[in-house]
Amino acid sequence: MGAVADEAAQLTGRDRRDFLRKGMAVATAAVAGAATPALASNKAPNLPEWTKTLGRGVVARPYGRPSDFTDLQRRTVPWLTASPESSISFSPLQDLKGIITPSGLHFERYHGGIPEVNPDDYQLMIHGLVERPLIFTLDDLMRMPSVTEIRFIECPANGGMEWKGAQMEALQFTHGMVSCSEWTGVRLSTLLAEVGVKPEGKWILAEGSDAAGMSRSIPMDKALDDALICYAQNGEPLRPEQGFPVRLMNPGWEGNTSVKWLRRLEVGDQPWYHREETSKYTDLMPDGRSRKFTFVQETNSVVTNPCPENPIKQKGFIEIEGLAWSGRGTIKAVDLSFDGGVTWQQAEVKGLALPKALTRFGFKTQWNGEPWLIQSRAIDETGYVQPTLAQLREARGTNTIYHKNSIHTWNVHANGEVTNVQIT
Amino acid sequence: MFKLPKIALLSLCAAFGANAASMGIGAPASEAEISGWDIDIRPDGMGLPVGAGTAEQGEPLYEAKCAACHGSFGEGAGRWPVLAGGEDSLAEERPEKTVGSYWPYASTLWDYIHRAMPYPQPQSLSDDEVYKITAYVLYLNDIVDYDFELNQDSFKDVVMPNQDSFYVDDRPDVVNTRCFENCADPEAMTIVGTIGGLSPTGHFKEDSGVSASHYADEPEAVESKAVALSEAAERGKGSYDQYCAACHGAGIAGAPKVGDVAGWSGRISQGMATLVEHAINGYQGDAGYMPPKGGFTNLADDVVADAVSYMAESSQ
Ligand code: HEC
Ligand code: HEC
Repeated sequence: MGAVADEAAQLTGRDRRDFLRKGMAVATAAVAGAATPALASNKAPNLPEWTKTLGRGVVARPYGRPSDFTDLQRRTVPWLTASPESSISFSPLQDLKGIITPSGLHFERYHGGIPEVNPDDYQLMIHGLVERPLIFTLDDLMRMPSVTEIRFIECPANGGMEWKGAQMEALQFTHGMVSCSEWTGVRLSTLLAEVGVKPEGKWILAEGSDAAGMSRSIPMDKALDDALICYAQNGEPLRPEQGFPVRLMNPGWEGNTSVKWLRRLEVGDQPWYHREETSKYTDLMPDGRSRKFTFVQETNSVVTNPCPENPIKQKGFIEIEGLAWSGRGTIKAVDLSFDGGVTWQQAEVKGLALPKALTRFGFKTQWNGEPWLIQSRAIDETGYVQPTLAQLREARGTNTIYHKNSIHTWNVHANGEVTNVQIT
Repeated sequence: MFKLPKIALLSLCAAFGANAASMGIGAPASEAEISGWDIDIRPDGMGLPVGAGTAEQGEPLYEAKCAACHGSFGEGAGRWPVLAGGEDSLAEERPEKTVGSYWPYASTLWDYIHRAMPYPQPQSLSDDEVYKITAYVLYLNDIVDYDFELNQDSFKDVVMPNQDSFYVDDRPDVVNTRCFENCADPEAMTIVGTIGGLSPTGHFKEDSGVSASHYADEPEAVESKAVALSEAAERGKGSYDQYCAACHGAGIAGAPKVGDVAGWSGRISQGMATLVEHAINGYQGDAGYMPPKGGFTNLADDVVADAVSYMAESSQ
């Protein structure tokens, strides 16, 4: 806690004044923008305006877009990073339904801006300890047998701002660095069969063509297991923010290993220890030593309704909802507590429960103005039970930055407002 | 019934046999193609090109190309990354992870500076420049001497202090159980809210109220138009290119792009005195952090003022 106060002290005077001035404003004010205001004359028994005139015709918008009455946005926290070209934006989990993140709302993370890659110039080079070094064009990749899978991608820093204390009064910022899409591409194992990996080949360096030249070492086991070379997301070409035209996808692993704008794969006999697997994406422990190659995103979950952006507006019936996910496989169960973890009840897993995918859960109940300390606890197919914050801190201290997957607590107040709290 | 001639059948089998696991898709990558892209360096030295440079030779290059953001001593300007210091801080309350205190291998530094720095001009440094600057960053961290020459061989003698402190992921490291009753002691619970004033709620970008408009295309960056420059502005062009263009040329980190009339009009209306004052002393604005004199604190005030004239006049 003292540490978070220190963090506040590190902000410039101006940032601090901004937070103090605006900090309390709740983020629910979704603005209906340019659209006409709500009118009683549109309601029964009157005929609404839109019934009395013809609407827009086909292909007025050849590539459709959301209704002007909606306002879903990725958002960033400006003080987190020095420059928007190496920064983060968060998915609005509070506004989303089901398990698929619309492509335009997938969280963003890159280290040198979004390159504009011309797909006609696209090449994927595979070389190193292989029999036949090859270059594949986008057409080549699309000629090969394809695979389509629904998988989440999560930045290992998701939640990382809260190791030392609750800091973010919004679900979007506490958990929004996870998104889930339907990905289509070629199995990396298929490509590796084309080039013929030599027996000494144990690691693969994946490298992007962006200004950061993003690079990570991937163990051969993962490459041969479920890694995918993707060119499509939710049925259409990848979005530029997601690596257009081609990215690597390592299901269940920290997002940064799924290198975007992929240009090169080099097979080697040992890892490369590049900047993104030494300076960054290593986990500093209390004794001053660090874990390396912490690839798996462990089981995590969060309640999405209610949450700070979705306060409870009315007493009576409420369906609690949330999302759970595990980098090790399928979510088997989710439990809920309303009293800060003293007692627990099992929630219902709703709809598709797919391996390494966001999984939605729900729980029907009544709220009558009593304060709640609401928590969710996910269990995956390996039997791993999502840990408490106290357990994680006990094992890892508070300086690891990455992989904070602990049980999260929302405090529902008597007026229905929801705030972010930690129980110690 | 259709019958394949025997000979065709044989050659068909042969074709499949030869490519048991292969579809024959993809073109061979030539040596030249590979060497153009194969830029990675490994701790065992694999990939290091021929070349050399001393920390002493690296100093002016670092000052010109890196110090604006990372500081003359690697201390970091504003919120840009710190590159030096933090020895023995890793087990402390506020660890400082730098090249010297944290990075396990010198090869990583060579590789990273070569592939990604300077931030606005990645892969623009020659191999010798990378050797020189790498040596200088190591020197700023007290890892090599000022006259140390870094090359493919001497590289192997550089041992990073934190090299042996990394171990392979040993998670799962915590075991929770699926308890349903009396799982915690309500009396012993402390409930801590967010630290007041720290949360960015309400700190969304000023224009977060937009709806339809945020699907529209971003306005095109305005091309710099030919204007007659004042004498001061003519004098300032050279120093602008050298010291300010790293950020203001491409609009890095929120810096207003030179030539972007809309981006500058509000700024110019503050008056030249304010602009120059901001450029000399630095300031934190809504768009980002402008370091004093762009990080080059040894510049004379009138050199900075001339650069500001050039920037403002080119953006009207
Ligand atoms: C315009 C500002 C800017 C300039 C100029 C610049 N850098 Fe950087 N540097 C950055 C940013 C931003 C990052 C972090 C990038 C990221 O987020 O991945 C960085 C990261 C680094 C890192 C890694 C730091 C760490 O702890 O992981 C090193 C080393 C580095 N720069 C060296 C250099 C060198 C050497 C030069 C000059 C050749 C240089 N930089 C020029 C902005 C700059
Ligand atoms: C490391 C990046 C960086 C460098 C290098 C840099 N600037 Fe800036 N500068 C900024 C940023 C960011 C802003 C915008 C700050 C804001 O208004 O939020 C800015 C703003 C300015 C402004 C506008 C001030 C105002 O009041 O609106 C001037 C003038 C300026 N810089 C001059 C210079 C000059 C002259 C140099 C070179 C000597 C320079 N800058 C180098 C980042 C940089």
